[in-house]
Amino acid sequence: MQRRALAALALSLMIVAGCGPSSNSNAPDATPGGSAGAGAAPDQLAKSGAQSKGTIGVSLLTLENPFFKVIGDNIVSAGKEHGYSTIVVSGDKDVAKQSNQIKDFIVKKVSAIVLSPCDSKSIIPVIQEANAAGIPVLTVDIPCNEPGVKIVTQVATDNFGGGREAADAMIEALGEAGGKVAILHFKQAESCQLRVKGFREVIDAHNAKSNSKIEIAMELEGGGAKDMGLKATEDSLQAHPDLRGIFAINDPSALGARAALEKAGKAENVVIIGFDGQPEGKQAIKEGKIYADPIQFPDQMGIKIVDAIIRHSKGETLPGQMLIPTKLYRQADAAADPELK
Amino acid sequence: MLKSLLSRWFSEYGMIFVLALLCVFFSVVTVSEQSPSGEGAAKQLAGLIQSQFGSKPRVLIVVRDQPEELAFAAALEREISAAGGQVLGNVKGEPRDAREVLVKLSAANASLDTIACTQPVSAWLVFADLEKDFPALGNPRLLKPVPYRWPNFLKAENLLNITNQIAVIAIVAIGMTMVIITGGIDLSVGSLIALAAVLATLLIREFGGSLQASAFSMTCACLVAITACGCVGAFSGAMITIFRIPPFIVTLAMMLVASGLAYILAQGQSVYQIPDSFVWLGRGADVLGIPNAVLLMLVLYGAAHVLMSKMRLGRYIYAVGGNREAARLSGVRVERVLMFAYVASALVAGLGGVIMASQLKSGSPTYGSMYELYVIAAVVVGGASLSGGQGKMLGTLIGAFTIAVIQNGMNLTNVESYTQKVVLGLVILAAVLIDTVRHRK
Repeated sequence: MQRRALAALALSLMIVAGCGPSSNSNAPDATPGGSAGAGAAPDQLAKSGAQSKGTIGVSLLTLENPFFKVIGDNIVSAGKEHGYSTIVVSGDKDVAKQSNQIKDFIVKKVSAIVLSPCDSKSIIPVIQEANAAGIPVLTVDIPCNEPGVKIVTQVATDNFGGGREAADAMIEALGEAGGKVAILHFKQAESCQLRVKGFREVIDAHNAKSNSKIEIAMELEGGGAKDMGLKATEDSLQAHPDLRGIFAINDPSALGARAALEKAGKAENVVIIGFDGQPEGKQAIKEGKIYADPIQFPDQMGIKIVDAIIRHSKGETLPGQMLIPTKLYRQADAAADPELK
Repeated sequence: MLKSLLSRWFSEYGMIFVLALLCVFFSVVTVSEQSPSGEGAAKQLAGLIQSQFGSKPRVLIVVRDQPEELAFAAALEREISAAGGQVLGNVKGEPRDAREVLVKLSAANASLDTIACTQPVSAWLVFADLEKDFPALGNPRLLKPVPYRWPNFLKAENLLNITNQIAVIAIVAIGMTMVIITGGIDLSVGSLIALAAVLATLLIREFGGSLQASAFSMTCACLVAITACGCVGAFSGAMITIFRIPPFIVTLAMMLVASGLAYILAQGQSVYQIPDSFVWLGRGADVLGIPNAVLLMLVLYGAAHVLMSKMRLGRYIYAVGGNREAARLSGVRVERVLMFAYVASALVAGLGGVIMASQLKSGSPTYGSMYELYVIAAVVVGGASLSGGQGKMLGTLIGAFTIAVIQNGMNLTNVESYTQKVVLGLVILAAVLIDTVRHRK
């Protein structure tokens, strides 16, 4: 009995150990001049900074969404280029879990913390802890503009500009006729509020000077997801059978809207504008199911974050917010896109 | 005698060895250079500066704005000045502040022998190319205290960090252990955490005076929130005992109900308009630097251990889980015992929610999602049997710590999130496997 228990114990340790070496290899040593031991001459230690500049701790909202995965991957690769090792963890939308991850980063004495807060209010205490430990904190995609926290900078998509581009695409698609459009919103997210605000602003400006009026007939909660988008679109088709356009604040809700239109046999009468440029969305644009997307560049966001960390470390003063513009992506772009088969 | 006692302990708390092994493992793999700071390090660095640059070195001190490093800077300045050296500046802050001073010094054509700083500061890129960026300074050398090697895992602050992180799960696991020993399960604890957190913060915001709430009204709000959870537990208990609905179904339903209630009450938002002093329970540390939540956890475990091992009610709980019919026939009032277990579980879940709200200084309906699974994992890793009748309070505590150590250790060793889930799952499985093998003669 004893022997078997020992064998099982050894097995479990091997499992744990199995992840050890790989984890060590991607984190050579957090400290500059890491290879020099305590006994080495101080001169050697002083001449550091060349090999490893330290570790960047990254805690993202979730890694299930490819958008955040791309941000994380690009922080890793851009960080590696500049001599940083990076650890990326997922907060899994659980702010308590994210707080623990940040606390672990603080104990580990990382050189910078990057996060997209799971809850911009509940994350305050732990950001304050990082501030007190003298570790710079940067936010990506989701801001934390609360009093009492010190954020080096916020890197995000220019959602307001993206909303304006979406409206441009809608005007272009509806042409002379104009007509009724619906918005599939996701009100909880500040980013989506900005998108809709930009969208409305351009539509209003268009209506003021053009005869082909576009009426925003309704604004529904699309949940940012396919199922909710589908239901909301079905409802809006009941209320406005003459609907001509839908602006969905992200790709999943746009695809949900498309499914509803196909079900109702109105796929050809109603134009959809999405947002994001996720692979599935791009594919739909290629097939003509979505008219166009203002696309985001999560890869640029990752690169920009590392750039901001380096500039901060060099002693530069950074703007409070660094916005990355979107780009309108139409069927022609999709046809030329090497990423789509 | 001693040997038999040891071996008994062995078989009852075998998981403690797994925990110890995990600790050793993570200690070994997280050994890294630590930079000393504080007065001792300052003295040592001052000595180094004198030995390299004679008795009148011209020094710029740069540290970050945090207590340990500030103490280091103050001591260093004192040492250098006392020895006749010249401190040209004492920067406390960010790279930006260092650059400002460097620009100022080079404009004044001041030459520097050395820039004395702490280890994290020495990695700032503002010092990466001093010769080119600030030629007027005469290429000063960057000096920092000689580092030593020590595991990140074993630093006192990390050990406290682990206990503080696990406090909520460990406390909730007390109730879960009782429920599981009776042969039941309580899936509603995660949602009850959210409900209690939202209720407590909401009561403070709406009735306790919001940001000006007094300690008394905050305590009342927390007690009301915990009691409300107790009522939910009593309801589950009633369904289970009176209508004989399986606990899995009842608590699954209550999980949805409680979570929905939390969302409705909070209107899907987090509730944060509460006073700063609310964090006392979750983040305060009044006794020997041990966080209050951890103290509370230890006291509760002590009480629960006594209840389960020394008191009649404890024996009844084991009896009901071991063989309900036999317990009933020997005069145990099974319904009351079950009722007690579910109410206790809900009460500690409520307490866990209050602690979490205090740690995060806000309440949100998203708290506690999936926590039921972590709590059940802690109980099972701790040696309790899901078929009832078996389990130890202290085993559960060890189980909770095992999970916390694995999570913390993986965060410290740069294991990314996906792998963390796989490893955690395998370790839970391995732990239970060992336990099963150990018990099978």
